[in-house]
Amino acid sequence: MSYPTVYPTGVTVYNPKKAWNGFTIFQAREQGALLIDMNGTEVNFWQGLHGFPNKMLPGGYVFGHLGERNNNFGMQDQTDLVQVDWEGNVVWKFNQYEFIEDPGEEPQWMARQHHDYQREGNPVGYYVPGMEPLVDQGNTLILVHKNVKNPKISDKLLLDDVIIEVDWEGNIVWEWACNEHFDEFGFDEAAKNILFRNPNMRTSGGGMGDWMHINSMSVLGPNRFYDAGDERFHPNNIIIDGRETNIICIICKKTGKIVWKLGPNYDSSEDLKKIGWIIGQHHAHMIPKGLPGEGNILVFDNGGWAGYGIPNPSSPTGAKNALRDYSRVLEIDPTTLKIVWQYTPAEAGFLMPTDAEKFYSPYISSAQRLPNGNTLITEGSDGRVFEVTAGHELVWEYISPYKGEKMPTNMVYRAYRLPYEWVPQVERPVEVAIEPVEVTTFRLPGAAPMGAKKTTVIEGTRPYQGDKALCVAAGDEAEE
Amino acid sequence: MGFTIYTATGCTRCKIIKQLMNEKGIAFEEQDMKAAGKEAFQKFYAANRKAIFRGPDGVEFPLLHDGITIRQGIGACVAYLLSGTKLDGFFSVGTLHKEWVDGIHVSGGNPEYTTEFLAALQYIKKGNNMKLQLDTNGLNSAILEQILAQDLADVVIMNVLGPKELYSQLAGEAVNITEVEKSLSLVTKFPEYKLQTTVAPVVREDGEISYLTTKEIGATAKFIAEATGSMKNPYLVKLFKPKECKDERFKTIEAMPANALLSYRTAARTHQVFVEIEKN
Repeated sequence: MSYPTVYPTGVTVYNPKKAWNGFTIFQAREQGALLIDMNGTEVNFWQGLHGFPNKMLPGGYVFGHLGERNNNFGMQDQTDLVQVDWEGNVVWKFNQYEFIEDPGEEPQWMARQHHDYQREGNPVGYYVPGMEPLVDQGNTLILVHKNVKNPKISDKLLLDDVIIEVDWEGNIVWEWACNEHFDEFGFDEAAKNILFRNPNMRTSGGGMGDWMHINSMSVLGPNRFYDAGDERFHPNNIIIDGRETNIICIICKKTGKIVWKLGPNYDSSEDLKKIGWIIGQHHAHMIPKGLPGEGNILVFDNGGWAGYGIPNPSSPTGAKNALRDYSRVLEIDPTTLKIVWQYTPAEAGFLMPTDAEKFYSPYISSAQRLPNGNTLITEGSDGRVFEVTAGHELVWEYISPYKGEKMPTNMVYRAYRLPYEWVPQVERPVEVAIEPVEVTTFRLPGAAPMGAKKTTVIEGTRPYQGDKALCVAAGDEAEE
Repeated sequence: MGFTIYTATGCTRCKIIKQLMNEKGIAFEEQDMKAAGKEAFQKFYAANRKAIFRGPDGVEFPLLHDGITIRQGIGACVAYLLSGTKLDGFFSVGTLHKEWVDGIHVSGGNPEYTTEFLAALQYIKKGNNMKLQLDTNGLNSAILEQILAQDLADVVIMNVLGPKELYSQLAGEAVNITEVEKSLSLVTKFPEYKLQTTVAPVVREDGEISYLTTKEIGATAKFIAEATGSMKNPYLVKLFKPKECKDERFKTIEAMPANALLSYRTAARTHQVFVEIEKN
């Protein structure tokens, strides 16, 4: 995508009247957990607190990790999950999932947490009226890694995703391992074939297959479908998504079975064809009761490359055989499978498909439904966090200025908006509107304004046309 | 009455037993259940159904019959041919295949026949290049010591029955705990070993029957740590299966759900960091 060389960072657009005003927490690349207000003022910076992701709790607490396992041996394994107070004191910690002895490293217990966790009291880890996460008690669901062998999937060592529930004292009271449910995911023979040969092998630890790569795990919470008698949506059930397989599914908390799913194929019914291929998705969760769109599944459908299946010219082996070079945020009714709201390059105002890549994050990213119906979107790969109304109007935008030194990117894995009331330590900030800059007239010092010194008129020229005759079909033609 | 051996075409273990009988000059009749002996085997099986073990992969071969006694599997057949009934208890039908032989119980037989037991192992492992997986519950530690000295086991699985104070009750006999401690220290010296404990039912002082508690499994893990000098043993905590239990007292006890083992793992991990739990 054609990202400009020079562009502003920090808050670039802010409409206080239409935005859902509050603080925003995210992981500043290679820096720590950063809490900003609507104008981008850095309210608290928990230096060195890793965040995969960072989440806030009422009272000014923040979740994060004290460190990450050496990448030579582990893939994205966080050493622990900690709850830290406003002053940086660790008030809760879990790390006792696996005892790790990596060469040259101090033997230690590790949580091997990655991508997600949820504290009891709140199903999704973001603000929901009347569903505050507990801060001094309660259980925590944690997504962790475990290396396993399962010849049914592959002859390679697998990096499996496991969900554990730990109590306040750190005892594991519930456990679910993804590989044990392989038969329930609906892989066809082509998918099983390439999965067996290459279960998304990564180099850490001498090679391990990150075959599912679950990147989101949350609880359904109370919802209208369960209230109407649909047991699949029991409030205790857990929704996950697997980036590598394009699967979004709901796990029955009681039996561990998969009771609802989208993917891995999106061409097996008319409803699925209408949704189109969800590829490499992130943060699929049910919008909690009490928020606009409650009960619907909200997901950042990254596009990019993912899936296992029949080989094609872009995937000679069948690995990552689904491709798309733009992203979509979809809100889907899980019972009718209808898209009830979406934010795609078209809603962003880009010409489809030729400019579609201007809304595109092929990895990470998220979407949070806000109480006024707005949606906070993390377009993660470019460090862009923005808020749009239900009518797709951009009302807040922030570009992270924090570019890593060890990895040169300003990526933001997942940002969360939270109410001012969750941080009683600081005064409510002043909200100053930031009008969108007119980019056609914005100039850096020394750059000339628009407007020709001399306009030359040629007799016989004809008017310009629309988009029907680009080198590729675009706009209305592409939709026909 | 002479010997009959029931075999399956291509069965290597059957060939080993036939060879042993030839070496010892024992006359025998062979019935290959996949060839001409099919009918004879079916008749034999129908008449002795209860005495013949049928595993998940079907009946294990060879089956040896001398008119009175039936022995099944390579270990039990070798033992019977070399030493008659002296080695009863040391061998049962195994479930491993290819070059692996299991169903060998160090603690199961009479230690008076240690020499004979070692000779049987020698014949199977050294004489026929098989790999042996042995199990023990800690009793007969002197035999285990000799097995180690003579390099007669490739894998040893030790069933650590429970904490010291409950060991005799769980074993169903008076146990000298120093024997168990000695076995624990020996078992870690084999090429590969695993420790495991089943969360078994126990008859309490008041007569009530209840499963080993998390605290007792924690104490078991501590016992292992003390005896082996290590907190890093491969250690599995297993579910008790009432339906498979031979003790009538425990057959009706309610099976524990697999998730119940999570708290046992937590308790054991304080002393054994690599503990895993059995899944259903």
